[in-house]
Amino acid sequence: MQLLFLIIKKEILIALRERLVLALGSIIVILLGVALYAGYLTYQQQEAIISQTQNEKRQEWLGQGDKHPHIAAHYGTFVFKPKTVLSLFDFGLDAYTGTSVYLEAHYQHEFMFRPAQDHSSMIRFGELSAALVLQVLVPLLIIFLSFASYTHERERGTLKLLLSQGVSFQTLTWGKILAYSIILIVILSPFMIGIAILSFTGVQHEALQQVEARVILLYGVYGLYLFFFISFSVWISLRSSTGRNALLTLLSCWILLVILMPKTVANFSESIYTLPSMREFKAAIDKDKANGLDGKTPRSVRMVNLTNEYLEKYQVDSVEQLPFNFEGVSMQAGEEYGNMVYDHHLEKLQNIFHKQNRLSSIASLFNPFLAVQHLSMGLSGTDIHTFIHFEDEVEAYRRALVRKMNNDMAENSKYGEFFGYKAGEDLWKQIDDFSYQTPTVKELLSHYKLELISIGLWTAMMVLLIHYTNRKMRPLHG
Amino acid sequence: MDSTIKTLVRYEWKAFVRNKFQLIMLVVTFLFGLYAIYYGQSEINAQRNTINAVTAIEHEEFSTYKASFTEEMETIEQEQTHDIASRPAYAWFRHGYHAILPPHDFAPLAIGQRDLFRYYYRLTGMSLHYQLFENELANPVNLMAGNFDLSFVLIYLFPLVIIAFCYGLYSSDKEGGTLALLLIQSVSMRKITLVRLTFYFVLITGLALLLSLVGILSSGSFVADENLMPGLAWLVGVVVYCAFWFGLLYFVISFRKSSSFNAISAAGCWLFLLIVIPSMLNVIVTTMYPLNSATLAGLTRRTGLENENDEKEVKKVIREFLAHKPELAASDSLIENNMLAKAYAAFTSLKDINNQHEVDHYNAQVAKRNTWTSRFHWLSPSVNMQDVFTHIVETDLTTFLHYQDALVRFHGNISEFYFNRLFWDKPLVRADYENLPSFSMKQQSDRWETVWLGLGKVLLAAVLVFTLGFIKMKGGIKQ
Repeated sequence: MQLLFLIIKKEILIALRERLVLALGSIIVILLGVALYAGYLTYQQQEAIISQTQNEKRQEWLGQGDKHPHIAAHYGTFVFKPKTVLSLFDFGLDAYTGTSVYLEAHYQHEFMFRPAQDHSSMIRFGELSAALVLQVLVPLLIIFLSFASYTHERERGTLKLLLSQGVSFQTLTWGKILAYSIILIVILSPFMIGIAILSFTGVQHEALQQVEARVILLYGVYGLYLFFFISFSVWISLRSSTGRNALLTLLSCWILLVILMPKTVANFSESIYTLPSMREFKAAIDKDKANGLDGKTPRSVRMVNLTNEYLEKYQVDSVEQLPFNFEGVSMQAGEEYGNMVYDHHLEKLQNIFHKQNRLSSIASLFNPFLAVQHLSMGLSGTDIHTFIHFEDEVEAYRRALVRKMNNDMAENSKYGEFFGYKAGEDLWKQIDDFSYQTPTVKELLSHYKLELISIGLWTAMMVLLIHYTNRKMRPLHG
Repeated sequence: MDSTIKTLVRYEWKAFVRNKFQLIMLVVTFLFGLYAIYYGQSEINAQRNTINAVTAIEHEEFSTYKASFTEEMETIEQEQTHDIASRPAYAWFRHGYHAILPPHDFAPLAIGQRDLFRYYYRLTGMSLHYQLFENELANPVNLMAGNFDLSFVLIYLFPLVIIAFCYGLYSSDKEGGTLALLLIQSVSMRKITLVRLTFYFVLITGLALLLSLVGILSSGSFVADENLMPGLAWLVGVVVYCAFWFGLLYFVISFRKSSSFNAISAAGCWLFLLIVIPSMLNVIVTTMYPLNSATLAGLTRRTGLENENDEKEVKKVIREFLAHKPELAASDSLIENNMLAKAYAAFTSLKDINNQHEVDHYNAQVAKRNTWTSRFHWLSPSVNMQDVFTHIVETDLTTFLHYQDALVRFHGNISEFYFNRLFWDKPLVRADYENLPSFSMKQQSDRWETVWLGLGKVLLAAVLVFTLGFIKMKGGIKQ
């Protein structure tokens, strides 16, 4: 035990003497600071804009004056994608998902305005977030810090000296790994605390559920990821004959995992599962709305069927005799048919998205970087699954709104009097303001099983591998 | 060429051929390049297919209109079609025109922002803002991952290849013990390093040029008028960018430190130029110029007249619109005919007129961001190069901003075409179909200025790092 502490102390001292490593360490500290500060500013700016505009739209809805409910359903309202507090840590997909959507009767509008569209192509180089620093830059710092951990001793001949003193490879290796872990913890802990404080106190109208649990899980995921990189680097150093070889091997792995693979996987999934264009997507929906999903029951036939059904049910000869306004009923029936058609096509579309994302989940089994990237976005509420969940909630809200309007029209107005009936603020108030809550951590993680397995397996494998290699190493080869 | 250079090159060649690792690396890079070209082309071809499909739909729509002028009217549907074809009261909001931004022949080489922006719109005479903001379907995950196109291979991967080949040019001799042998030769160390560096420059830049030529020749005709200049500029860009990285490596080597030091410093530079600087600039610009698309969202709301039956309100809307249009002002006498159609046309146009300043303001903010970032391009030749490549193949933000402007003009033409007939009570006749509004985009005059200026900056950076290295390398034998 005492030996272990001695080795840890020695490794830390050596690392502190390396000027290059110190310089890189300070740069990372500065970058993390800048990233968190900028993330916090963006979060506050966007949060203020969104809640203000959302409020304005709410007032517009309430103050739209007296009008026919169906016109109100067309007047509709807007929903804006809320910023989650942890987006200050990981921007995730926020630049690439649409931010606002218009809700009205009959039409499912697409989300508008991807923030990346307001940037030059430089945005494709990425945005500096704390997550980017931890996922991309810190592993590189680890590589620079530890690639020579064994090769240096080997090249200088100190390895033989150490071993002859009775130090085992086990103690030596774990001592080095623990030393680097301590250095990283010291560098990163102020920021970890900072993130916790910002996200626990900066919360105003928070959409993100279980922030505390998410932050703790983030610590865990990043802890494992960085530990993996430390032990991997030390292991490569242990197995390499020269520092130069160790460095080249580690850098090649880093490039493969962090730069090449994510892009290739994404592009690959895009090529295998191709998306329709918006025009095709909309045209298919319009066609099915007009001719029926089976292609044989056009709108006019559906209308006749519905009319007959109601006349029979209420035993009357004409729709005017029904105790409610049939226009409201038929309007809602049309709406529901439209929803059914839309759901049919949306499911196909989401299936493609799902398959594409599934491929990159599978790829994450082979790449801990991808696993961490996905989990980090997920826990921060800036991932694709949270976005799809948000989209679904918005659509459910739109449907409830339109249904309410159509039902009111059926109950309170007379057949054929479209401009005669007017509803007012009392009805508008019955529609609650839209408020969004992300899925719980448990629901979220059910999408990320593969990623969790990946991170766990890679770390466990590394520990076992090191243990095994330590035992196999013979001092003679040192 | 004197004999020492010949000898040096010959030995370098031998060393290169015998190093399996380096050979494999070049082959792998070449294969990545080929994949990137293939990927870019498949992306752009998918866009071309969409464009063709969309154009076919438009063609079909208008052929049925044209045909309805000569056909015998038999069914109700036929009569309806003829109404839409001939009566401006229907035509103004039913006839859809596609405004298409076709990809440049070389767009597959640098997809840029083309996967993020829409490149086709169907426009009718209805409110422009209602039609403008919807996005194309895309998986945000893949948008974020970005495109593996040739520009990515050249900008990200080639520097790494250059680093891998050159970081040990001096230090490996030092570490391998051959340095002393080199130093006792009559040739200076500076010259030896320079010759070896040139050798690899020719080799690697040659590979980059080869890949670019494959990409260019398989994407379009090099000699076509509109392609010659972009093709040449691309090739020049490749040479200049490679030169910059070789210059940088020369500078790093000139410190005469260990291989590990060289590798770490070079990789650090790569990290700074390709990840740290651009990502930092991006967050700075986001926080410095916060944009609020939420205000624009409000413009897409579909509103109509409060009450169509209220004749006073209807006429008021029409008159308000006519006040904006002197050429239509006198049509006031015809206000009673087709009043509702006129009122709706007037209503949506007024909406556009009253809101255009918000859209202009927003676009101006975006342009401001663009100007701000381009002012800092010199910080990273890689960012600069990416910008140059996207400018060459017209996949940059500016192209899309120009496209937006052209859309506004085109929508103006469409409205004018139909409103002239609607408000003057003139039917659409068969002959009108020969003079339909058509979309066109002005050539951007400043495009090539940006390209050459950008290339100049990269060249300057290359000269700078090379000179620094050259001066530093001068020192004699310091062991």
